[in-house]
Amino acid sequence: MNRSERINSGLNIRAYLTLIRSSIIEYMQYRMSVVVMLFGNVVYLVIIYNLWKAIYASVDTPTVGGMTFTDTMIYLVLASAQFCFMEAYLVWEMGWGIQSGNIVLQLLRPISFETYQLFVIAGANLFNFVLTFIPTFFIIQIVTDWPIPMGVNLLYYIVAAALGGLINFAVDFFVGTICLYTQSIWGINIMKQLMVTFLSGATIPLAFFPETLRKIVMFLPFHAIYNTPLTLLIHNDLPMSEIGKMLLTQLLWAVLMMAVAGGFWKVSEKVITVNGG
Amino acid sequence: MNENMKKSDSIIQLKHINKDFKILNRHEGLKGSFQDLFSRDYKIVKAVNDVSLDITQGEIVGYLGPNGAGKSTTIKMMTGVLEPTSGEILVNGRVPYQNREANANNIGVVFGQRSQLWWSLPLIESFKILKDIYRIPDKDYKDMLELYATMIDLEALYGKPVRQMSLGQRTLSDILAAFLHNPSVVFLDEPTIGLDVSMKAKIRTLISELNSRKNTTVILTTHDMGDVDALCKRIVIIDKGTMLYDNDIEHLRRFFGAYRTLKINLNKRGAVPSDDEKKKQPENVQKVLSKQFKAVDFSIEPDEEWVSILIDESQIPLMKVLSFLQEQMKIYDVRVEEISTESVIKKIYEGRG
Repeated sequence: MNRSERINSGLNIRAYLTLIRSSIIEYMQYRMSVVVMLFGNVVYLVIIYNLWKAIYASVDTPTVGGMTFTDTMIYLVLASAQFCFMEAYLVWEMGWGIQSGNIVLQLLRPISFETYQLFVIAGANLFNFVLTFIPTFFIIQIVTDWPIPMGVNLLYYIVAAALGGLINFAVDFFVGTICLYTQSIWGINIMKQLMVTFLSGATIPLAFFPETLRKIVMFLPFHAIYNTPLTLLIHNDLPMSEIGKMLLTQLLWAVLMMAVAGGFWKVSEKVITVNGG
Repeated sequence: MNENMKKSDSIIQLKHINKDFKILNRHEGLKGSFQDLFSRDYKIVKAVNDVSLDITQGEIVGYLGPNGAGKSTTIKMMTGVLEPTSGEILVNGRVPYQNREANANNIGVVFGQRSQLWWSLPLIESFKILKDIYRIPDKDYKDMLELYATMIDLEALYGKPVRQMSLGQRTLSDILAAFLHNPSVVFLDEPTIGLDVSMKAKIRTLISELNSRKNTTVILTTHDMGDVDALCKRIVIIDKGTMLYDNDIEHLRRFFGAYRTLKINLNKRGAVPSDDEKKKQPENVQKVLSKQFKAVDFSIEPDEEWVSILIDESQIPLMKVLSFLQEQMKIYDVRVEEISTESVIKKIYEGRG
């Protein structure tokens, strides 16, 4: 018998890439879900279009909070497209795994649970980015006559969106871990979704927030998920120092949130290992 | 085998393992549920109570016990998903719950009720993912697939998404996946549950071949005595968390081979007996039998529409009981069953108590 003891220490890059790949292939098996998601998004966009049209009609000035109607629409459409690729329903997946006990199977992988989830979600995000965000971006560009410059801002966006995705993952992972204690998923997930989309500026641009609220929001990690990447994408005239500051803030939040989520999971894992699944 | 050799070969060691669960005492009704929100009224349930085991490389051990006996809890402790309340546990020389990820590299697990495979992907894709996750070298992976190909017709399975597989195919695939990284121990938790006879046979052959080819230790929990007969030389029986038996199967059979169960149906074909009748029929049979065979103990109980009679054939032949009963009452249907695991356990338990 030759059974060499495999010690898998360190990074298993190949496994990470495989997890991303598997997640993408798995998504491709459900092609129809992309269509349904796009359709749902169109309905949402029609609603916000009419809502904001009414808001702008009710004021005398053409700009509100420094944004024209077109500015607002471009921002919100891109925000909803970004939501489509960032929301990978991790809270549902974790909650469901905990309820059904299937989480045991993932705990028995030779990769830490958090890392495993991270790369699966990364695959889902990547897939949805290509299938929803990129088409939406070009449709907007064509319909509104190329208002977004096609320059280095695209690169900033990709970096900022990746960091934002990491923060989003950490928030989801944290909330998913709460399911270990509550055994309920629905309410927690709805609350999380509302909080994140509101406080990050995905439902209403932060420019419309009252001054005090905006100041509070800027001290929270959520704006780094939506507001930062979208600002970097839309605005081409930001000074380099401002861009650097925004990306650095994101990076700090990403590191901090990942540490918090990871630590919370480590402590909470005991709930499973001590008192059963 | 001398004691020293046994020690050096042992792959799983459990020493006085205990596992307690803290469970909230739930109250009834709406008011009760509301009280439960603030209740601190816990009770301690001993799921596993002072279990010690020493398992050698290459063994197939049948781990038996009724539902809720503590089998899965023990397996979860050996895989590192659960931490024992007290006691020592070593798998591959490691404490599983402290090194869960390292331990995961050298074990394989199949839960009969869950699948570790990627639901919507073709089987071969799942295998490729596992190859990367477990860092299986190309050559080992290829050799393993070749070995699999000699055992069963895999070509048909490889391209099939797991969600489209029958339960039997899925179980088969799950077992192959568990052995893929050539682990030193594979845990099979009720692998034949819900399968038809031919699939059961196929799966038993597969497990036994993989065990002998790769010298893999297999820990098998099951309710099916057929699995045990086909695979296990050694069996361990546990009930209510306590180990009742740990010895070879011949020994057990010699002990309990004399018992068989006679089942009779006293209801007209298709007729469903009322609850009252279900209770009365066994009592009636008991009365008739104890009158005739005064010195013999029968254990009689209802089983759906049947009356089930456990007979010790060293005391009285089963046929004699049947022919006597047939003179006494109208029997519509008859079944003879070898003693089931549950009855064996019950016997051991009664013998101890």
